[in-house]
Amino acid sequence: MSMTSPLGTVATGLQAHYATVFVFILVGFVFAGIALGVAKLLRPSNPSPAKQSTYECGEVPIGSSWVRFNVRFYLVALFFIVFDVEVIFLYPWAVVFKQLFPVPGMGAIVFWEMIIFLAILALGLAYVWVKGDLDWVKKLAQRTAMTPAPAAAAEEEVPAS
Amino acid sequence: MELLNLNIPTWSDLGHWIPEAVLVGAFLAGLLGDLIVRGRRPWVPFAISVIGLVTAGSYAVAAMLHADPTAHSIMGRLVVVDGLATFFRLIFIFTGLVTVLFAWTSEEIMGRWRENKGEFYVLTTLMTLAMCVMAEARDLLMLFLSMEGVGLVSYVMAGYMRSTLRSTEASLKYVVFGAVSSAIMLYGLSLLYGMTGSLTFTGIRAGLMAHQPDPFGLLIAAVLILVGMSYKIAAVPFHYWAPDVYEGAPTPVSALFSVGPKAAGFALMIRFFYTVLASGNDPATGSTLIADFNWPLLVAVMSAATMIYANLVALRQTNVKRLLAYSSISHVGYILMGFVLLTGQGLQAVLFYLLVYTFMNLGAFFFVVAVNNHLKSEELEDYVGLGFRAPWAAAMMVVFLSSLAGVPPFAGFVGKLYIFTAVMDRQWFWLVIVAGVNSVIGLYYYYKVVKAMWLTRPAEGADTSPLKLHWLQYTVLGVLTVPTLVLGVYFGQFKALADQAIRLLSTGM
Repeated sequence: MSMTSPLGTVATGLQAHYATVFVFILVGFVFAGIALGVAKLLRPSNPSPAKQSTYECGEVPIGSSWVRFNVRFYLVALFFIVFDVEVIFLYPWAVVFKQLFPVPGMGAIVFWEMIIFLAILALGLAYVWVKGDLDWVKKLAQRTAMTPAPAAAAEEEVPAS
Repeated sequence: MELLNLNIPTWSDLGHWIPEAVLVGAFLAGLLGDLIVRGRRPWVPFAISVIGLVTAGSYAVAAMLHADPTAHSIMGRLVVVDGLATFFRLIFIFTGLVTVLFAWTSEEIMGRWRENKGEFYVLTTLMTLAMCVMAEARDLLMLFLSMEGVGLVSYVMAGYMRSTLRSTEASLKYVVFGAVSSAIMLYGLSLLYGMTGSLTFTGIRAGLMAHQPDPFGLLIAAVLILVGMSYKIAAVPFHYWAPDVYEGAPTPVSALFSVGPKAAGFALMIRFFYTVLASGNDPATGSTLIADFNWPLLVAVMSAATMIYANLVALRQTNVKRLLAYSSISHVGYILMGFVLLTGQGLQAVLFYLLVYTFMNLGAFFFVVAVNNHLKSEELEDYVGLGFRAPWAAAMMVVFLSSLAGVPPFAGFVGKLYIFTAVMDRQWFWLVIVAGVNSVIGLYYYYKVVKAMWLTRPAEGADTSPLKLHWLQYTVLGVLTVPTLVLGVYFGQFKALADQAIRLLSTGM
């Protein structure tokens, strides 16, 4: 396999493909370097505290940008993905099922395969439900039975996001 | 639309997968059971796991005795059940079963303040299943999926004592290292797929043989994949997670980690390297490399480095659990020696060693569990005088340690003998010398523990009351001691099992 370019045959085989990638990386670095370098040479340097602060849509920035998200968001996202993928998976299955249904013996296998798959996911849902991870506001006392929490702090608040 | 090559499994295909199906059932039933009793009666998932593992185990034994010479590809050719898979399945199910039984008596798992006790048994069942699939994968997708399956369960189990700082630290370290190594391996897999356009092991080999691949590209791909697998078996230089994780995780979990995923990693390595990067499985001439890339030499250097490093570091350990962690790393070095030989003899020695290692290493770790229940410590200085406080268990510990050291009448010696002979046959003399020197070093630190238990005089005023062990602990330790003793003198039958497994290793299709 040879690669022809306006300059003629450059290289053959795998190297040629890697060379293309390499040239791309190189051009990327050079481009960014030139842009930043030229700007550095031309611009006046006159820093002030207001200029050096983080740009937050014209507002005065408040707090650190390293916000900790509540772990519950990830749980819900994960949970959503599982069932989202399940539905996507059902479509090709339905197409195959329709064609295989008339084949003797196949219909049952394909049908029960999917039922088992759904049952496993349903068990996951039941697990999350029973463990109370579907409740957005959880009782702190319910989670840590070993360290009795003071009555005032029994209800854990969701931090404002 | 063409549906003929969809390869939908039939009932007769799935018949070869009964142990795995039983494990899936046991996992789901255990999880459901734990939910129904609301986690208040851990014996429910415990009983379900034990029943599931025993049932799966008996089917696996039946398959082993049946010795079906044909390999069965199932699940759309993603997994294969052949001699190798049948052999490793037994190791995994046995490991899972004894771990479940011993964990029942462990304070670290079943202590009064622990949460989610039942889930431990469910997770062990799931881990056993994932390990079985790891030994059966014959496709890059399944390879990655099964490795991640084992990995994800491991992370949770390492952090099982979640109110303990040590345990959560172990879990976090495991996750971070695991994610990095998975990513590296995935990159290697993608390169391999790009070069050959196939995901199945045999397809990749055919692709590599059809048009000679770019040697540099193949080197990169193979090394990246090797990194991922060496991480799983904890070979130097990808061992750094092991001591910390083994020390921090609950001891029954460390016992499982030091045997299960390691054996699974070896199973996967054998299948991958001997199917993709070598061809032929002739007992006389062995396998030949298919591409111009000398991976056996690379792995041999790794093996020597693993032995030397782990044994030297183990000398200075004062924590028995950490010492056993380094010991298990050094054993990876010994086992890798058999892996690089490209001979059936070498692989048979590897399998036999893994079998022996399962018994002796689990035994040593379980003794630590039993002691930890009473002393709440794993420090060597607290082991002083244990020989007189728990004579039977300590005597069994001596058997396990002697076997790990490779002292003659015990099983470890026979395992080492087979590996060393196989290496000698291929004239890798430098490797044998390194291994021999390391065995002597090993003797020192294993007998340091024996000395503490039996010979060192306890300090004035130290507690010398006898330890009372649970009957289940005596039973499991006994079950592990018997093969460690018997395999040292009567090993022909069991070696034959390993030989059969390698003979029936399917490299075709």
